[in-house]
Order: sequence, then C-alpha cells, then structure tokens
Amino acid sequence: PNVGTGLVGAPACGDLMSLQIKVDDSGQIIDTRFKTFGCGSAIASSSVASEWIKGKTLDEVMTIKNAEIAKHLRLPPVKLHCSMLAEDAIKSAVRDYKEKQAKTNAAAAEETVKA
Amino acid sequence: MATASRFLLRKLPRFLKLSPTLLRSNGVRVSSNLIQDSIEPLDSFWRIGSRIRHDSLTTRSFSSQGPASVDYSSVLQEEEFHKLANFTINHLLEKIEDYGDNVQIDGFDIDYGNEVLTLKLGSLGTYVLNKQTPNRQIWMSSPVSGPSRFDWDRDANAWIYRRTEAKLHKLLEEELENLCGEPIQLS
Repeated sequence: PNVGTGLVGAPACGDLMSLQIKVDDSGQIIDTRFKTFGCGSAIASSSVASEWIKGKTLDEVMTIKNAEIAKHLRLPPVKLHCSMLAEDAIKSAVRDYKEKQAKTNAAAAEETVKA
Repeated sequence: MATASRFLLRKLPRFLKLSPTLLRSNGVRVSSNLIQDSIEPLDSFWRIGSRIRHDSLTTRSFSSQGPASVDYSSVLQEEEFHKLANFTINHLLEKIEDYGDNVQIDGFDIDYGNEVLTLKLGSLGTYVLNKQTPNRQIWMSSPVSGPSRFDWDRDANAWIYRRTEAKLHKLLEEELENLCGEPIQLS
C-alpha cells in the first residue's frame, strides 16, 4: 500500500516506462525503481526522473516538468517526447499511490465503524 | 487458436534445431508446455497494452491505442491516416518555405526527409514534426511549447492535442509569429 506504480507509454510505438515509488507516512518518497523499454533517451529520462524524485515529497515531484529533464539531459528536439513520458510516469505513479492510500483509508474507516 | 498452435508445432522442430542453447537450458521437453512458454511473453505484453489503454481513457494522457481492445470505430484506417497526415505535413512545408522567404532569420532552414519535417530557426530553436503511425498521431517537438501529440479530430477537421485542446495549425501560427515577428497563415 505504500508503493505507487506508474506505467505509461504504448507498446505499439516501442516505448514503455514503469516507475515505482515507495512513500513513507510523511508523504516523502524514500525509494524508487524504474523499468523502461525504449530508446536511450527514454531510458535516460526515466533514470534521471527516478533519481530526482528520491527524497522529495509527493507535492514536490508533481512540479517536475519534462523541459527540466530534457534540458538536464540535453535531449535533441526529436527526443523531447521521451522526457514527456518520464513526467507522465511520475504523475501516474503518484496518482496510483494516492488511489491505493484512499482505498486503504476507506477500508480502515470501515473497520473502525464495525468495531 | 487451433491453427496457430498447429503452425507453431510445425515450426517447433526447426526452431529447436536452430537454438541448441535453448534446448540445453530448458531440458529436452518438447511438449505443449514449451509452446505455452513461447506464447506467454507476447501475451503479457498485450495485457500491459490493455492496461495502458484504460489508463489513457481516464486521463486522456498517452497515445491511444494499445494493441488490445482497440475501438476500431474511432480509429483512422492506416491509409486514411497517411493521406491526412501527409497532406498536412506537405502543406505546412510549403507554407513555411514561403514564410522563410519573408522573414530574416539567421539559419532558417526547412527540410522534409525520412517522413520527418525539420524546421530550423537558427538560435531560436528547432521544430520537428513526424507521423506516429501506430497511434495515428502527428508528433511535434517545439522549442517553445515542448512535445505534443496531435490526434485527428473529425468534427473539428483539425489535428488536436488532447491535453491542451491546442490545434496544430493554430499553435504553430502563434509560436512562429512570436518567434519571428511576422504573422503566418497556415490553414
């Protein structure tokens, strides 16, 4: 329940990015993992994304923009889409984590009512 | 499915002969199991595809069609997609070439090769437009607005980026005018 997974991309076009975040009770990301199928830029983007979000809070990582990733990696114009994929992966992972938390909390609330 | 496995069975002996390493690592087990094994990775990839499909439905985020659960009624046929996209890109090429003659930009260069339209504006940056056929999209990389992916919208008769609702032609007109200081009419 304290892990969020973001899976983005389309296998049809050859890019698939999976990013996982482990979050502690205070909302800080304590560990990250990524697995990416795709071009070098896509892999580099997910790698740098996973480095950057480690130690940050959920709110902080939502502000990471694809342009920052692209600039950091000096991606050429054709490869800007890869950094976009990384931004999406982060957002998707955070959303997945929040959904899981909401479910856990709802279940916990139900338990309390029953007790 | 029955035809598929028969096909695999026929292919199997040759396949095994070709890959002795596989034989050694798996042991000699020519059974339906092996066929199952060879199908599985593909199958799981398909499943990932369908998961993304669901994801993109709720968020309008990424590309549209995973290999599984494609809604064919809304998907452009490949031929039609190429027709529309080629027309759009060639049209843009012409218009922007003319535009280049009117503006004084150092390093202005437009080039269409390998199905990729590249517009160089010297120090102002570089635009790249290309077709992304599996998604039936046109992708654009802009030095101003970054990456965007346009789907064909039948109702609007235009290429639209679903996240921002931006139209390809309008976005390019605005950005080029801001960058080069001259208005341009693309549509």
